[in-house]
Amino acid sequence: MDPRQAPGVYAGAANVIAAVMLLIEFGMLRQALARDQVRLYAAQSALISVLAVVIAADRNLPDLYALAALSAGLKVVAVPLVLRRLLARTGGDEEEPLGAGEEPLGVAGSHTLSPASAVLAGIVLAAFGFFSFGALGLRGPDPTPAPDTALAIAGAMVLVAFGLMIVRRDVASQAIGFFSLENAISLAALVVAAGLPLILATAFLFDLLVAVVVFAMLIRAHHSRAESLSTADLTRLRG
Amino acid sequence: MVSAALPVPLIQLLQVLTVALGAPGITGVIAKVEARLQGRRGPRIAQPYYDLAKLFRKEALAPAGASWFFLAAPLIAVTAYLTIPLLIPVLTSYGLPLGYMGDILGGGFLLSLASFVIATAALETGSPYAQLGSSRAKTFSAITEPVVLFVVFTVALLTGTDLPYALAATVRLSAGQIIRPAHLLAAAALFMVILSETGRIPVETHTGTLEFGMIEHARSFEHSGPYFALLTWGSELKQLILYTILANVFLAPWGLASSRDLGAVALAVAALLAKAAAIGCVVAVLDNSFAKLRLFKITEFAAGAFLLAVLGVFTLYLGGG
Repeated sequence: MDPRQAPGVYAGAANVIAAVMLLIEFGMLRQALARDQVRLYAAQSALISVLAVVIAADRNLPDLYALAALSAGLKVVAVPLVLRRLLARTGGDEEEPLGAGEEPLGVAGSHTLSPASAVLAGIVLAAFGFFSFGALGLRGPDPTPAPDTALAIAGAMVLVAFGLMIVRRDVASQAIGFFSLENAISLAALVVAAGLPLILATAFLFDLLVAVVVFAMLIRAHHSRAESLSTADLTRLRG
Repeated sequence: MVSAALPVPLIQLLQVLTVALGAPGITGVIAKVEARLQGRRGPRIAQPYYDLAKLFRKEALAPAGASWFFLAAPLIAVTAYLTIPLLIPVLTSYGLPLGYMGDILGGGFLLSLASFVIATAALETGSPYAQLGSSRAKTFSAITEPVVLFVVFTVALLTGTDLPYALAATVRLSAGQIIRPAHLLAAAALFMVILSETGRIPVETHTGTLEFGMIEHARSFEHSGPYFALLTWGSELKQLILYTILANVFLAPWGLASSRDLGAVALAVAALLAKAAAIGCVVAVLDNSFAKLRLFKITEFAAGAFLLAVLGVFTLYLGGG
């Protein structure tokens, strides 16, 4: 397509929302405090609900409104709440007062790369995701073609979320990276297959709930064994 | 409506005069808004004009050992700043004859030339603070420079040229041109660069008097009298020029005169000053809501702007940006 040709208001809006979601992913990559990462995750999830509403309005798919509401309730309210309570209990939240003799277990300083290098590495990952997904030339079956930039951005987000899980040494950031990975996949699904039956889309959302439960158990188990949220303690094997 | 058609050279001159005379006023508006937000009454809006008038009447001193370049630098810088309004759409939506003597890169070169001569003049003085300021300013502009280049690439990909008039015309074309991610990302990156170039929070405290935190403002420490006035006026000019580029090329290229009517041109002058004041209000709010970044964190701010600009170019290459 000639780049001088504007993609139209609907595709433009979808692409902008996708681009902002990718920027939030970068924000998580450089954010030092787990509390702020949870906040960014909630913002990203809110955006995906907005995108669902935009697509629903454009393609006249009433199912998607229900999905948007459900997804907002789950990902903007429930999951961040669970994560925040979990962090408060393990002392990972810097705002919660700690008991006497307790060490603050903040996840600040769990960077293995400096934030600027992490962002640069993220740009490289995002470029790879962008162009590999763009080269696939995937198109939805809908009469209106999916905005392929949004799909490529979803691909970039998946890779940056993987990068986030790799460069962080604490379980909380890794869990948030995993959840935002799910956001990226939902974005791709929304863009390519907006007409998915509601029951299937809801089933995917409940997959996320399972992941939340599993991660919550992992975080608590790790915290009770190692008394920290850092995975650096896992490198030494003890018999 | 007055329908007297103005001659083209006069409009061209008016572009320069609007920027030259309006720039201190915009600084005054920002200072006023910032003070009101902090619960102070603040200086009157015309205060920067009085400051300049006072400085122009004062005696000029140069440090011992400084060469002629120390005194020539403010003149060169102001000349460069006054040339840029000829190249960008300040008042008209159609290109004026001299508007085609340089593209966006040409304007960028003039801005860097001005900043280079000021930095060199600061080196002439031998004063540690002036040198510190110019060395920092050069260091950080080495990081913001690539961002500007990527913004120019975005413009070039969007319009097929790198003339600022062409992008403004493209943006006016349809709503789809505004909402496309490449345009929004490039505009956001440019705004971050402008914050850094005009010495605003989160990069620099505008009203600070602590030399260790200074970047742009430390450079003019050794200048005095009319030369200091020229440097102050120069940084106000630079601010209004950058705001004009942001408003008239990227964000809101509306309200520009499309004919040579006196009424239309007068309206364009008012619209430009109103838009610049609006951007100034946003900047004042940012100034009051964030803390200054530590010096070594400024690279992260610049890396953020770079990220936005690079993503803008990426989305364009996929065709849907």
